[in-house]
Amino acid sequence: MSKVTITLLRYEWIAFTRNTFQIVMLGCTFLLGLYSIYYGQSEIKVQRDTIQDVMEIEKTEFHQYQASFKEELASVEQKKKLEIASDPAYAWHRHGYHAILHPHDYAALAIGQCDLHPYYYRLTGMSLHYQLFENEIANPVKLYVGNFDLSFVLIYLFPLLIIAFCYGLYSGEKENGVLPLLYIQTVNIRRIIIVRLVLYFFLITGLALLISMIGLTTSGNIMTSENSLAALFWILGVIIYCAFWFAVLFFIVSLKMNSSFTAITAAGVWLLFLIIIPAVLNVWVTTRYPLDSTSLAEITRRTSLENEEDKNEAREVIYEFLAHNPHLQGSDSLIHNNTLAKAYAALTSLKDMHSKKDVDHYNNQVYQRNRWISDFHWVNPAVNMQSIFIHIAKTDLNTFHQFHTSIESFHRNISDFYFQKLFWDKPIQREDYSRLPSFKIKTDEVKWSTLILLGIVKISIATILFFGIGFIIMKKKKI
Amino acid sequence: MNEVLLIAKKEIQIALRKKLIAALAIVIIGLLSIALYTGYVAYNQQQTIIEQAKQENRTEWLGQGDKHPHIAAHYGTFVFKPKTILSLFDFGLDTYTGTSVYLEAHYQHEFMFRPAQDHSSMIRFGELSAAMVFQILIPLLIIFLAFTAFTEERENGTLKLLISQGVSYSSIIKGKIIAYVSILFAIVIPFFVIAFILSTVITDSGSIPDVGLRVLFLLIVYAVYLSIFVAFSVWVSMQSSTGRNALLTLLTCWILFTIIIPKTTANFGESFYPLPSMKIYREAIQKDIRNGLDGKNPKIAREQQLKKEYLQHYNVDSIHKLPLNFEGIRMQAGEDYGNKVYDVHWERLIDIFNHQNRISSLSSFITPYLAIRNVSMGLAATDLNTSIHFQKVTENYRRELIRKMNLDMAQNSKYGEFYEYKADKNLWKTVKDFRYTTMSAYEILRQYLIELLSLCCWGLVIFFLLNYSSHKKKPVL
Repeated sequence: MSKVTITLLRYEWIAFTRNTFQIVMLGCTFLLGLYSIYYGQSEIKVQRDTIQDVMEIEKTEFHQYQASFKEELASVEQKKKLEIASDPAYAWHRHGYHAILHPHDYAALAIGQCDLHPYYYRLTGMSLHYQLFENEIANPVKLYVGNFDLSFVLIYLFPLLIIAFCYGLYSGEKENGVLPLLYIQTVNIRRIIIVRLVLYFFLITGLALLISMIGLTTSGNIMTSENSLAALFWILGVIIYCAFWFAVLFFIVSLKMNSSFTAITAAGVWLLFLIIIPAVLNVWVTTRYPLDSTSLAEITRRTSLENEEDKNEAREVIYEFLAHNPHLQGSDSLIHNNTLAKAYAALTSLKDMHSKKDVDHYNNQVYQRNRWISDFHWVNPAVNMQSIFIHIAKTDLNTFHQFHTSIESFHRNISDFYFQKLFWDKPIQREDYSRLPSFKIKTDEVKWSTLILLGIVKISIATILFFGIGFIIMKKKKI
Repeated sequence: MNEVLLIAKKEIQIALRKKLIAALAIVIIGLLSIALYTGYVAYNQQQTIIEQAKQENRTEWLGQGDKHPHIAAHYGTFVFKPKTILSLFDFGLDTYTGTSVYLEAHYQHEFMFRPAQDHSSMIRFGELSAAMVFQILIPLLIIFLAFTAFTEERENGTLKLLISQGVSYSSIIKGKIIAYVSILFAIVIPFFVIAFILSTVITDSGSIPDVGLRVLFLLIVYAVYLSIFVAFSVWVSMQSSTGRNALLTLLTCWILFTIIIPKTTANFGESFYPLPSMKIYREAIQKDIRNGLDGKNPKIAREQQLKKEYLQHYNVDSIHKLPLNFEGIRMQAGEDYGNKVYDVHWERLIDIFNHQNRISSLSSFITPYLAIRNVSMGLAATDLNTSIHFQKVTENYRRELIRKMNLDMAQNSKYGEFYEYKADKNLWKTVKDFRYTTMSAYEILRQYLIELLSLCCWGLVIFFLLNYSSHKKKPVL
């Protein structure tokens, strides 16, 4: 580092330490950052507590079923309990399993869509779609306003901090009458501006990293295999995003306008990236890809056989079901036992099968809509960064789609577990409780890291572009 | 008065010469046009979808065939939330409230399909609506327009000239405010003309009975809101030594008013008044239905008591001898008790919502944005109160539907028989098609008294500050 650079940095540092307003701004941002971490963690704690309650409820339910095998069948209630525990005709639609999406440790830092989508479902063997569309309780006003989490502080407030620190780098000198003095120095003005920008870059990005480190270390163990890569991506994202805004400011400063105009332009760019472009794209996508959820409403209906007393209708439904389930086909000789229960089970299963096309079509529309939106991340670095953060924290729409896909296969396992018993006329025994279906979420870790890196590359390119243009303009443009 | 108009005229001329203001005005008009167009398209699309679904649903209900009324009660029906014509102006919470609900016996389903669930996280950055332009972007235009109101006069030395010619501060303030308000009017009037033409062309679902009155109220509250911003900006400019300081102060206020405070207060609300999870909420309802609201009146005891009452009332010794099917009576009594329990829990839940939102309402004394946001949503019938009202109406409709099914079963079938009795289309027809009408404009405004009061306070405080500062300023600088 040359002597001139050191001198410039030293004097800029002195100027910074004497500016109480700037120090107060940094302090306020730091406190807001701490609050956002606290808020995010308290939100996720509520989710974790609920998950704990839900798991407890499931444990108690299945414990009761298991216990009923040992009990003396003295009372009607005890007999009923055993019936529910052992008779598949009851059990398939009474036994409730929970599919749970445990929040990632860093979900507290970027709540994303996880306050909007249910993170647990109680599933029985009944129609999946009857059980899949219920929402979690949420205050719509709160959903509309959004969360004050760390990703909000980094994406919305840090650019403002950067604007407040840097808008006067050139115009301030001009208005204070120092500029002609700078021009007669041997060091060129572009270098002076860049050195000053670099100091503020380290200062503000340093603050962002400090808050992020506090968030990352207090939200989970940074050293675990699941968290370490996520934390690394987070830190990389913070550095690139701050660099992007410094590059934008460098570009605006290079236009050499007066300080009010520079501030207005910078505020305008902030407004463009954080409010106008996303707001316009949101309404555009809604009108370009309108979704008709009413078509899905119909499949949530609880239907029964047209004529429950009609044995022939019941048999037809069972035969249709067996045709789709080869492993149960031999059980058609037992059709006369428990016919209605089998027919009802077959009906719900067939209904799910028939509805799947509609659900897949709907999900595909959602996918198309959001793929179209992601193409605009090039012109939308703030949204891109938000998308990266929530990808890291696994609170994005994609994670909820994966959750739903895993639920489908879990529901198939549950149904199959009970239908094997029901259609082969076998009771559920105590030993079967050690082989109950369990939920596992399928994730694609390679796709996860690729998407994050791709997003970071997009912001990096925009950063280089703004900096490069600013670098050229700064030299060419006269005072 | 003449000097006030002269100042206003001069101010308008200067603003017209500024390229920045012209550019921003074009941006605002452009955004308003996009908001209006997309609002119109989205309204039309959703309205068509909902109307079609509604008709199909009605046809399904009437054409469900002959069946036992209790099976029909479980077959149930769907209700779809209609789009109100004013949602074209302010989307409000429509993206975050569910759009349809399944109505069936024994169970109050929650609303399904929040449109935001089908969007990526970008939806949390907000959607462009005309209300958003008026609430967030036009105040910014006002700031850019008015931050130099006094500072420029001061920096150019013209303020001294004006004062020395006997022009009072009060006249300068009035002149500037008139000028900025006129410029604003010129920008937004084309929007209102197009909006008015659109509203006459579009056929509304009729769910809002008093659109005209609501539009009038909207005009008034927005005029007050924007005037507050104009006056506030002029006052800040008057108090600031340089244009740069005025601009920074106003931009800081804008960010606090429209971004930071609304988000923070909503978060505080949730932290102070936590919501139960759906699972725990449902479990609590089921427990109270099982054991009774006081925990001492279990379901079996309630049913036995009901049986005893009926046997006594008809003076018979067996339910088989009752002139009606006791099963239908029992089901309806169970339904009534379930409704009673549900109401207790639901009221509690709504109470938590209200407590959470009260913090935002009270914060409208700190930021006028919260006042206008809430009142505007209310008048556009896209707010939480309308959503809750809609839920109540649908729940009453469900109760009426189930009651009709149970009573028909009680009156027309025999105890111990089920498949033997089948009701037909004549019974389905007695359940009227669902129609929703929002609360009246007065009723909705009554829910937003705090916000209206805060807007008045803001107006009065700004008026007082301007008056006070204009008298306090020395005539010679």
